[in-house]
Amino acid sequence: MRLEREQPWRYLAPAGLLLALVTVYPLAHVLWLSLERRSLLDPAPPAFAGLENYARLAADERFWNALGNTAYFVGVSVSLELMLGLAFALALQRAFRGRAALYGIILLPWAVPTAVSARMWEWMFEPDIGVLNYLLGAQVNWLGSPAWALNAAVLMDVWKSTPFVALLLIAGLQSIPQDLYRAAAVDGASRWTVLTRITLPLLAPMILVALLFRTIDAFRVFDAIYVLTGGGPADSTETLSIYAYRVLFQSLEFGYGSALAVSVFALVAVFALVYRMLLRKVLP
Amino acid sequence: MVSRRRFLAALGAAALAGCGRPASERGAKTLVFKHGKLFGDPRALRALIDEFESAHPGVAVHEETLPASSDEQHQFYAINLQARSRAFDVLALDIIWVAGFARAGWLSELGALEPGTFFDGPAEAVTWQGKAYALPWFVDAGLLYYRRDLLEKRGLAPPETWQDLVRIAREVAPRAPGTHGFVWQGKQYEGLVCNALEYLHSNGGAVLAEGRVVLDSPQNREALGLMADLVHRYGVTPASVTTATEEPSRHVFGQGRALFLRNWPYAWRLFQDPSSRVHGSVGIAALPRFPGGRSAPTLGGWQLAVNAASSHQEEAAALVRFLTGEKAQRQLALAYGFQPARTALYRDAELLATQPFVGQLARVFAAARPRPVTPQYVRVSQVLQSGFSAALSGRRTPQAALAHAHERIEEILDAA
Repeated sequence: MRLEREQPWRYLAPAGLLLALVTVYPLAHVLWLSLERRSLLDPAPPAFAGLENYARLAADERFWNALGNTAYFVGVSVSLELMLGLAFALALQRAFRGRAALYGIILLPWAVPTAVSARMWEWMFEPDIGVLNYLLGAQVNWLGSPAWALNAAVLMDVWKSTPFVALLLIAGLQSIPQDLYRAAAVDGASRWTVLTRITLPLLAPMILVALLFRTIDAFRVFDAIYVLTGGGPADSTETLSIYAYRVLFQSLEFGYGSALAVSVFALVAVFALVYRMLLRKVLP
Repeated sequence: MVSRRRFLAALGAAALAGCGRPASERGAKTLVFKHGKLFGDPRALRALIDEFESAHPGVAVHEETLPASSDEQHQFYAINLQARSRAFDVLALDIIWVAGFARAGWLSELGALEPGTFFDGPAEAVTWQGKAYALPWFVDAGLLYYRRDLLEKRGLAPPETWQDLVRIAREVAPRAPGTHGFVWQGKQYEGLVCNALEYLHSNGGAVLAEGRVVLDSPQNREALGLMADLVHRYGVTPASVTTATEEPSRHVFGQGRALFLRNWPYAWRLFQDPSSRVHGSVGIAALPRFPGGRSAPTLGGWQLAVNAASSHQEEAAALVRFLTGEKAQRQLALAYGFQPARTALYRDAELLATQPFVGQLARVFAAARPRPVTPQYVRVSQVLQSGFSAALSGRRTPQAALAHAHERIEEILDAA
């Protein structure tokens, strides 16, 4: 009997070790670096600095600006993606001719590498010869004005990620038992009642999963913005990841950059925990 | 932490070992020369290196190319040099890195420069605390390109001052539909610092003077104010300049959609292509200045230096001297169209005969000004990029942007 109780550990050990090696160790190392005064270009040897980097972070207006930009980007793009994704999913749920082909087409934006689609959008956003202004008959300085640039990045993200949300929700819709709809029809329920009483409650776990993925992804947004604007104009599209790149990879301030990375990690962890709590509530 | 350094050094060495040195070179002293990609026939550089090898028996030189991105090269050097890697002996450096690398103790001293041998700008940029830590290889500087045909039609000379430029652009551009007055690089990136400093410096302004921050000055306010006015008040520069880097601005001018362009010398060759829409109708001039100021193109370019951790100090220094010497610079200028850093070559008959354009540049390079020479340059530049971009995009007034950046840069220098 004793043997049986010991056995799970033996089987879990390799996976646990691997996990410790690839996630726990780097995380602990970054945490340690964030407590050091350490810059590659500084001839002085690295020194323990306690919470100095975090104090600098709290007073760094560029960090707060990046945090604000990131929050805006996450809030607006994820809510638009959810609404549009849900609409697509509901529209595509019924069987009709050419549905498979349509699935393929709406998935295309998700399949294109982000750096490539960002370059494509950069051309479409071009104010003089870009297709967007041509179609709108407008003279919008999409990527060049602080008022528009972040919204332009949101637009591209919505275009790219809505298919992902739609796909997850279609899968969720297909797992809802058809009996419930038949019963509702027999009871003479209106379409609105069916949507709010059957579809949405049963879809809730999938909606939360989609939100979790999208929120974490959008929070770390880097490649699209790096290609579109590089963080400008006037830092208006500088997100936390772009700022962390500047600090870690351009000015090579490893200590401060690590503090920045740790704070991003902490915020993402909070999101994950909140979603987990919500998921527990909606799951039967 | 030593183990980490060793690990990084080993990693660098392992990466290099993958490239493989020929077996015949074993036993001899092998110098590894790291540089960015050269656009052109690699044999021209190799021929020079062969010549160096035959003059130095027992020394072999192995060339290694780095990725084209400047950020990636900077990272590669910093990681390896910090780990005291001996995987390379001679390295090519962007002009803005020299002070930082020299202060970190990563580059070997190369003695004093003989005054007048190199242009003043590069000579200043490779000098840290009175000693040279790199030798200038090639120079680059901002130039004004203009549509000679459109100016001549109205009997106008290229502008001397920024105010002339505004006047000419407002007079000529509206008569050529679809033509912008003046395009340049205004995206928030390193190129914006290069552009903006040309206004500041040509009005007698500066960012640093004797180690102190002097950014928030009346000269700089006037200069940055004019730069923003080009967009918002005079309308000679399109508002989308805040997204423009070198290539997009070159395309606009190259398609005949602009009267003036600020760009580096590389664009000249491309405009000379017979298929170019502006072929034969482009002129170049020194960048404008403010009344009472002097034209002050921003300096770019590459320098050669010796890795302080290299175990072949003497040979490496000899290679640097050879490759930055007059003969090598002439050969490389002929082969790659690069602009030599040595002033004497601008009087060289052979070079001038084959590359008359280079001759016109001597005056421009002589006036070229380095970006602030400080070990903290990368961080200073990040602040400047943000501040200049805020002024151009209208998020801050030029006054507020300068005052704000001034404080941030003081904080950076104080903390260092």
